[in-house]
Amino acid sequence: MTGTPLIELVDLAAAYGQVQALKPTSLTVAEGEFVTVLGPNGAGKSTMLRAAMRLTPASGRVRFRGRDITRLSTHGRAREGIILVQEGRGLFGQMSVRENLILGAYTIAAGESVEARLEEVFRLFPRLKERFGQTASSLSGGEQQMLAIGRALMAKPKLLMLDEPSLGLAPRVAAEILDTLGTLNRDGLGILLVEQKAPQALRLAKRVYVLSLGGIVAELAASEVGSHHDLSRFYLH
Amino acid sequence: MPDAVQFIQSLVNGVGVGLIYGLVGIGFCVIYNASGIVNFAQGVFVMLGGMACEVLLRKFHLPLPIAFLIAVPFVALVGLLMEVLVVRPMWNRGSPLFAIILATLATQIMIERITILTVDEQPHTFQEFTLGGPLKIGAIAIPYQLFWIVGCGALMVGLLWLFFTRTRAGRALRACSQNREAAALLGIPVGAMLLLSFALSAALGAVAGILVTPMQAIAFNSGTPFGVSGFIAAIIGGFGNAAGALAGGILLGVLQAVAIVLLGAGFKNVAALTALLFVLFLFPSGLFAGLKPKAH
Repeated sequence: MTGTPLIELVDLAAAYGQVQALKPTSLTVAEGEFVTVLGPNGAGKSTMLRAAMRLTPASGRVRFRGRDITRLSTHGRAREGIILVQEGRGLFGQMSVRENLILGAYTIAAGESVEARLEEVFRLFPRLKERFGQTASSLSGGEQQMLAIGRALMAKPKLLMLDEPSLGLAPRVAAEILDTLGTLNRDGLGILLVEQKAPQALRLAKRVYVLSLGGIVAELAASEVGSHHDLSRFYLH
Repeated sequence: MPDAVQFIQSLVNGVGVGLIYGLVGIGFCVIYNASGIVNFAQGVFVMLGGMACEVLLRKFHLPLPIAFLIAVPFVALVGLLMEVLVVRPMWNRGSPLFAIILATLATQIMIERITILTVDEQPHTFQEFTLGGPLKIGAIAIPYQLFWIVGCGALMVGLLWLFFTRTRAGRALRACSQNREAAALLGIPVGAMLLLSFALSAALGAVAGILVTPMQAIAFNSGTPFGVSGFIAAIIGGFGNAAGALAGGILLGVLQAVAIVLLGAGFKNVAALTALLFVLFLFPSGLFAGLKPKAH
């Protein structure tokens, strides 16, 4: 890993009752780095992201830009610049695209132009501009995912975490969304992407963590996945 | 059989009291949407609003507008204290919603007892906002206070609409009502929104109480019937749907008034509870599901 750690998860562990969903797990993302976490269904990927945002009670520590934020609330972490796009998108379905986007800018300082943020989001996802007045629930799956990511970008995040953004989308739409994530990363945004299978995500990522049965079983450079027989078989095809 | 004049008169009165039920019902919805909690102390805010205003008028001889401007924030403050001292500790400990709802009921009883100790047990009223009524239209008499109820009720609904659709805090509150987890992930302080919802809801109840006290004397235990009627209004409208609660309140008020005219005063509550059962059996999502606020 190069550069200053943007986020560090240190021995993060979570349980649902007696079931240990996430064993003590450590992970880092550097400033401007694109990291992908791969793992099958039930591996603990979503639990890890939820624990990182304090949506799920967890032990361990979370540091952001060197500062311990373990005791910080979920909304406090968002204010620090960590934005999670949840699996299922978490949109406000009865609100319009416009209202969803404006709510995304909830944390940006007074005086900063929401309009400028909107234009930036429309540049990345022109379709959202066409759907501006529609309710979020009336959008197609791909458009909803664009809205979820666009809304996250309204907050000017320093780290964008995404939980299986390609789930349920047509391959072409998923590829379009991942391309956009690549663009954002090239512009300097740190990205932590969780996916079950994502050959394209691996092309974008610098490093990969493999999660299985609630714990990290491998950490390697994305370029090494292809040469690893088992990983290549599970995650590239 | 009642004549047409008596019937129309009862409809007019029903709309007035129904608007009060509607405001109480909206109060239920505001807290429920922000937290999932049904605040059974909602009616006590109505009593406190009327009682506080009456005390300020009678004991301190304040002009009505000043008494109004003190009473409403005072009741909003009681709402805040209720959230901080009763609801928040239980919420933070992860108590089941059922336990929190029971705690709100206990709070209502406590506030009623405090009212007896600090004021008295007697019913209180004060004069109508505008003297000299009622307005006569043919044989129908409309008290001036009814115009105040309709006007202030409409103003409150308009202000609420602007608040929920045009302000940052209002949008955030709506976001919490739809998905609290997603709202927190955007940096919205869900806890502060819960606090705001209690203050807003208490203020709405207080306004309703001040409006209705000149027409209907308020005693320490008057909150319960208003709370029950507001609750039924909210269910008729589709629980959580503010516009539906308002419409449900008006419908309930008119229904009760018609029941009194046609069947006698004893049937007022029978009519309300029959309407409740009718809606729960046949329209469990409420009669006014289509009145949800439109996206902007």
